Amino acid sequence: MSQIEIRSLSKSYDGGGSESVAVVDLSLAVAAGEFVTLLGPSGCGKTTTLRLIAGYLTPDAGTISVSGRVLSSTKGVVTPEERGMGMVFQNYAVWPHKTVYENVVFGLRVRKIGAVDARERVARLLELVNLSGLESRYPSELSGGQQQRVALARSLVVEPAILLLDEPLSNLDAKLREHMRTELKALQRRTGITFIYVTHDQSEALALSDRIAVMDRGRLQQYGTPREVYRRPANRIVADFMGLVNLVPARVREAEGGRGAVEAGPLQLAIALPAIARAGDRVDLAIRPESIRLTVPGGASAEAMRARIVEQSYLGNMNEYVVAVGDLRLRVQAGPEAEFAPGSEALMSVDAEQCNVFMADDDESRLGE
Amino acid sequence: MNSDRPLTSAARFRVEYWVGAGAVIALIVLIVLPLFSLLWGSVASQRGPTFEYFARVVSERLYFQSLVNSLILGGWTAFFSVVIGVPMAWAVARTDLPARGFVKLTATLAYLSPPFLLAIAYVNLFSPRAGVINEFLRSATGSTQLTFNIFSMPGLVLVTVPHTFPFVYLLASAALASVDASYEESAQILGAGKFRTALSVTLPLVAPAILSGALIGFVNAIALFGSQAIVGLPARIFTLPTRIYALFNYPPEYGLASALSLIFVAITVVALYVQRTYLERRSYVTLAGKGSRPQRLSLGPWRWMLFAFCVLVFVVAVLLPYGSLLAVSFSKSWGLDFWKNVTLDNYRFVLFQYDVTRRAILNSLLLAASAATFCILLGTAIGWIDVRTRWRGRRFLDYVSLIPLGLPGIVMAAALIQFWLKIPIALYGTLAILFLAYAARYAPLGVRAANASLRQIDSSLEESARILGASWVVTMREITLPLMRTGLFAGWILIFVPAIQELSASILLFSSKSMTLAVAVYNLYENGYIEPVAALALINAAIIAAAIFAANRFSDVADRNPQPV
Repeated sequence: MSQIEIRSLSKSYDGGGSESVAVVDLSLAVAAGEFVTLLGPSGCGKTTTLRLIAGYLTPDAGTISVSGRVLSSTKGVVTPEERGMGMVFQNYAVWPHKTVYENVVFGLRVRKIGAVDARERVARLLELVNLSGLESRYPSELSGGQQQRVALARSLVVEPAILLLDEPLSNLDAKLREHMRTELKALQRRTGITFIYVTHDQSEALALSDRIAVMDRGRLQQYGTPREVYRRPANRIVADFMGLVNLVPARVREAEGGRGAVEAGPLQLAIALPAIARAGDRVDLAIRPESIRLTVPGGASAEAMRARIVEQSYLGNMNEYVVAVGDLRLRVQAGPEAEFAPGSEALMSVDAEQCNVFMADDDESRLGE
Repeated sequence: MNSDRPLTSAARFRVEYWVGAGAVIALIVLIVLPLFSLLWGSVASQRGPTFEYFARVVSERLYFQSLVNSLILGGWTAFFSVVIGVPMAWAVARTDLPARGFVKLTATLAYLSPPFLLAIAYVNLFSPRAGVINEFLRSATGSTQLTFNIFSMPGLVLVTVPHTFPFVYLLASAALASVDASYEESAQILGAGKFRTALSVTLPLVAPAILSGALIGFVNAIALFGSQAIVGLPARIFTLPTRIYALFNYPPEYGLASALSLIFVAITVVALYVQRTYLERRSYVTLAGKGSRPQRLSLGPWRWMLFAFCVLVFVVAVLLPYGSLLAVSFSKSWGLDFWKNVTLDNYRFVLFQYDVTRRAILNSLLLAASAATFCILLGTAIGWIDVRTRWRGRRFLDYVSLIPLGLPGIVMAAALIQFWLKIPIALYGTLAILFLAYAARYAPLGVRAANASLRQIDSSLEESARILGASWVVTMREITLPLMRTGLFAGWILIFVPAIQELSASILLFSSKSMTLAVAVYNLYENGYIEPVAALALINAAIIAAAIFAANRFSDVADRNPQPV
């Protein structure tokens, strides 16, 4: 049974002009112990969704239930303090007038946990987040990463069943973010707490989540595992948001039982097609840069075609190219082993299994097939 | 759909709703009802609603002249506030003037001095017969050519300007300090000289701030009862506050007093409205946003001229009045032969022997402290509702709480009297009605202080306490109020200081039991006790100084602790 059940949730802000709709008809189920990420560009409604789950906002429509109990509906909300959840804020919201210890022990004091017990639990949590010894420091004496961990410890010490995290890593520098990402994942596995995690960073979402809910302009675009969302995006919005992609206008040449052939200029691919696709339809072909292979001309490959290297960028762990095939310009990511100079020729092949086809005007969301 | 209803505590007792309701009731009792009584009083007669009172106050010379006098006084005061405030502001913000700290201090001291003390001090110096400077000039020159009669419109302007020029000074110097040098440098690179640049670039940029300060000075100047009574009445110069005051003498003319009060309010509100909407919208200096880098002008020998001007302001606004009060307070009988009769009797008299002044000091301390505390609490409640909730009508609450900014003290008192005389609760003549007057007058300061400090606290700091299980009360006590502490304490002092010297409203509301410090000073002066008045006035000033000293100490301590990010 799912632990969190969101049904047809909508929320708009008053007085926000035309773009005031924050969440539209969102339905989502999260199982106990899952790590679910709400992913999307800023303004997509992910933070609003999180704040609705926390009980800071009252929905305009729909319900949120946890363990079968309705917590939010248009008729009212159970206040945040009665939900027993935890939340980590983007700016950490560590209280500047309290020491590390006072910050972390706060939730226990509210719950009237005895001093001895509380002291022990705080000590355990601080050890878990590597802050032992800093109990009497004030937040202004801590680094960003340490404040981050204080916020985490403060939320976890009360042992919530659900932890909400609002872009918790976005204010950290790249190296620390990497490190905290690993720690967060380990922490979630160890504690078994359900994590609802908001981010706009797709690589963070892919690395951390059991399931990803991709949102755009208030609507859920796709809800699935990282692999599903990356390899089989439900629509162009998701494909575009989940990393780099070449979106190429193409035409269906033949279609038969969900498979067929598409043609984009000189590029021809045998590929899985949407069920509604018919021969002659205009479609968009989504090709990830890493699904294109470049080889030195001369190798004999039937599917390979000649491509001209237009630009090359050396990124250390890989080379990124812009190649021209007929009128098409494609981005290609290739390993560092073979290098092609701009202006030179290469043989190009596309792994059709990694590509996706979208009907040309299915901009609208098509939920999870 | 029944199962969809959350098991919410919304229906249960929620403290924040009660606090909100309390704030609404407080505003209704303090501001809305008295204001309606005033409106009603201005049109009520035995034969039903009438505009007779309004017709009389604008047609009869007695009342109309007081209106004209107030406008003349306000106009000249605003003018001289600009003449004094702008050069000082420019000197401090933009030049290599020596001793800039001293100039800043002059403005602060001048602003903090109760205007009625200045009036009393200047009467001691320049009253036509007994003023010592006049006496000295007469005996030195043998004629009355050079003497100055304080009981006149120029005299009234003289004792008012020291209180109002700091408004211009403060706003103008803040504006000048935030004009980035790049504006002036770009004019200079185009070939404009320093003087041309100052006139065509700098001045237009800061003009809104200057006018803004002048209008605030105007509003404050015309509202002062004490100085206008002390200096104006002996010359038969009636102004709005003194005329309204006279209308409450037996037999009281409530209708006329109410009508005149409302005209007074209208002038104040128009001035403040112009100041707020028009001028604030046209103030460009804040556009620079990033830390600005003002250009300092090297004045060469001219800086000593400017410095002499600032010293003159210091002498007139601070040194002469306080020096003379100090001298008077230590003399048996005020006159030129000061050193022959030095005494501490006046202090002994007002502090220990005369129970009226002793009671007045205690009453004022009690009233100022309790009104400041109440206003800060009320302001916190209203500020919290405005900043943190999405309750319907929260903006309205905020507006109502700012109404007293447009009500001169004497008008506030006139409104309270009429309301509480209609109610069968005997508040008139008690400390309670004075408390209500102070609470209403200074409520806007409390709301502003709370609003400003709440806006600096990110709401996530409170939200994170809520989700950890803390109730509203616990969150306020543990998180919000401690983080607001510094701002609230500053606000408290900002209310306490004017409240301890409040005269304009108290003068209509006091009784012998509920005598306040400023009223005691005024009454002693009226009865000719020049020397004890000086002693009491200096005690008044000492209390203010102590409060500000304590405030600085406190904020130093608070600064050493970690501050909200």
